[in-house]
Amino acid sequence: MRPAGSILLLTTLTGFGFGLLAWTGGYASLGLLRGPTRLAIASVELGLFLVSIGLAASVLHLGRKARAWRAFSQWRSSWLSREGVGGVLTYPIAALFLVALRMEGDGILTRLLGVAVVGLSLGTVFCTAMIYASLKPIRQWHNSHTAPDYLIYALFSGALLFALLRTVLSGRPGSTALIAAAMAAVAMLAKGVYWRHVDAQTPLATLAAAIGLPKGAQARPLDAPHFTENYVLREMGFVIARRHSAKLRRIALGLGFAAPIGLGLLASFAIVPLAATAAALVCSFIGLLTERWLFFAEATHVSALYYGRSI
Amino acid sequence: MTMLPKAPAGAKRLGLVIDLDTCVGCHACAVSCKEWNSGGEAGPLPDYDKRGPRPDGVWFNRVHSYETAESGCSRTVNLPRSCMHCEDALCVTVCPTGASYKRAEDGIVLVDPETCIGCKLCSWACPYGAREFDEDAGVMRKCTLCVDRIYDKKLPEAEREPACVAACPTRARHFGDLADPESSVSKLVAARGGRDLLEEMGYAPTNKYLPPRTARIDAEPRKGAPEARDGVGSALLALLDRALSR
Repeated sequence: MRPAGSILLLTTLTGFGFGLLAWTGGYASLGLLRGPTRLAIASVELGLFLVSIGLAASVLHLGRKARAWRAFSQWRSSWLSREGVGGVLTYPIAALFLVALRMEGDGILTRLLGVAVVGLSLGTVFCTAMIYASLKPIRQWHNSHTAPDYLIYALFSGALLFALLRTVLSGRPGSTALIAAAMAAVAMLAKGVYWRHVDAQTPLATLAAAIGLPKGAQARPLDAPHFTENYVLREMGFVIARRHSAKLRRIALGLGFAAPIGLGLLASFAIVPLAATAAALVCSFIGLLTERWLFFAEATHVSALYYGRSI
Repeated sequence: MTMLPKAPAGAKRLGLVIDLDTCVGCHACAVSCKEWNSGGEAGPLPDYDKRGPRPDGVWFNRVHSYETAESGCSRTVNLPRSCMHCEDALCVTVCPTGASYKRAEDGIVLVDPETCIGCKLCSWACPYGAREFDEDAGVMRKCTLCVDRIYDKKLPEAEREPACVAACPTRARHFGDLADPESSVSKLVAARGGRDLLEEMGYAPTNKYLPPRTARIDAEPRKGAPEARDGVGSALLALLDRALSR
């Protein structure tokens, strides 16, 4: 599948944003926001800002951008529609959460709204993941890894942002850096398990089945319908060289997960905490963008079979 | 509405039956489709870099050729590929706007170009690669089963069939109601063992493909020299043979 820049930005930035909102809501609902609520307020604001950029980037992907509002209508069947509805619903609830934080600090309303913010944030990330997980012709997406993995990456990137904000505002990350490092380890494990899974998969169909021949019949392409690439080949027939993919996987693992583990641990021992958390954030952003690029580039689509491409 | 409709009792299920035994891969169906849909209600169909080195454009129908091998014999199979108007059309349910829809009354899957936002998700959901994006209009395009022809009362009844069916010089394409077991297309599917493409993907395509007949040579190979025959023709040939053999 062709990795479109707008979708890479959408999925990574909303991951950071909703992840941060989820951690903030979670801390608030458990009453863990001791002292000033500056951190929670800054977190919600930054979270909403990142979500907004991500959602705006997704609009850039559309052929008819002015019609984007129509995407909210089909939530009964479409995960893309549900993602839109979830994303937009998050704004008023997060705004009320902000008001409660300012007026009440730690109180029953703040805690209840915190729960709602967690639900909406993770719910929207889940909907984003299900857009991909529900596509039957793509084996690398249509599996039981996609949805939990998206939630894990969102919680990991949100935890890292939360740790950075905490360090900026109070000089010390406290337990947040350790949590971020732990989430990085979970995310790294999840990615490794995912790659093992997709590498062991067999193609969803054979060319013989694609052209209606009985099982076991042999077929090979003789003449393509056209000499140049068409939409189907550009969009669904994207091919990535195996050696490039291996190199990019190492970059994703190293920058996206391994570096944040080390830097997070460093920060949690209060060794250059600000520099460490900031560096971890930069590394994870590049790493997660690489990971997301691979998520698309390595995904194969059954329709490419008709052109003799391996799927 | 992107929920799949519940077809009312007795609803038609219009589709194509394509005979892979007689298709010669001439691309007439694809060209005729492009021509009709560039001018018909669905038009225009875009073309990019028309006279340049990388011509490209939207086509609803693409004809592939494959070489297949069965029991030691190789053969060419030509495969016209277009929208299958699936019963379980994932391209419809994934649509966030309701622009991609399936008609309850005849099962035709269409895109409303007025409400499509061009998110391309429907094309990702289709295992047949039947949907192509219109870069000019910013919306998704697909086979309409010539919905603007098959119901057109102004056309003579015999012409109320998809442009691809009308164009086929070998009559390899058939159009009809696949929900009616007594229709000519249903009988053809039953008689010839019509198949679904990518059956295991579970989309329940309406279009059916008739597999190539198994090639068989029943006559025994000829042994020895041909016997001499009677008649003026044979006599003349014998004369010619003798003259040339001198």
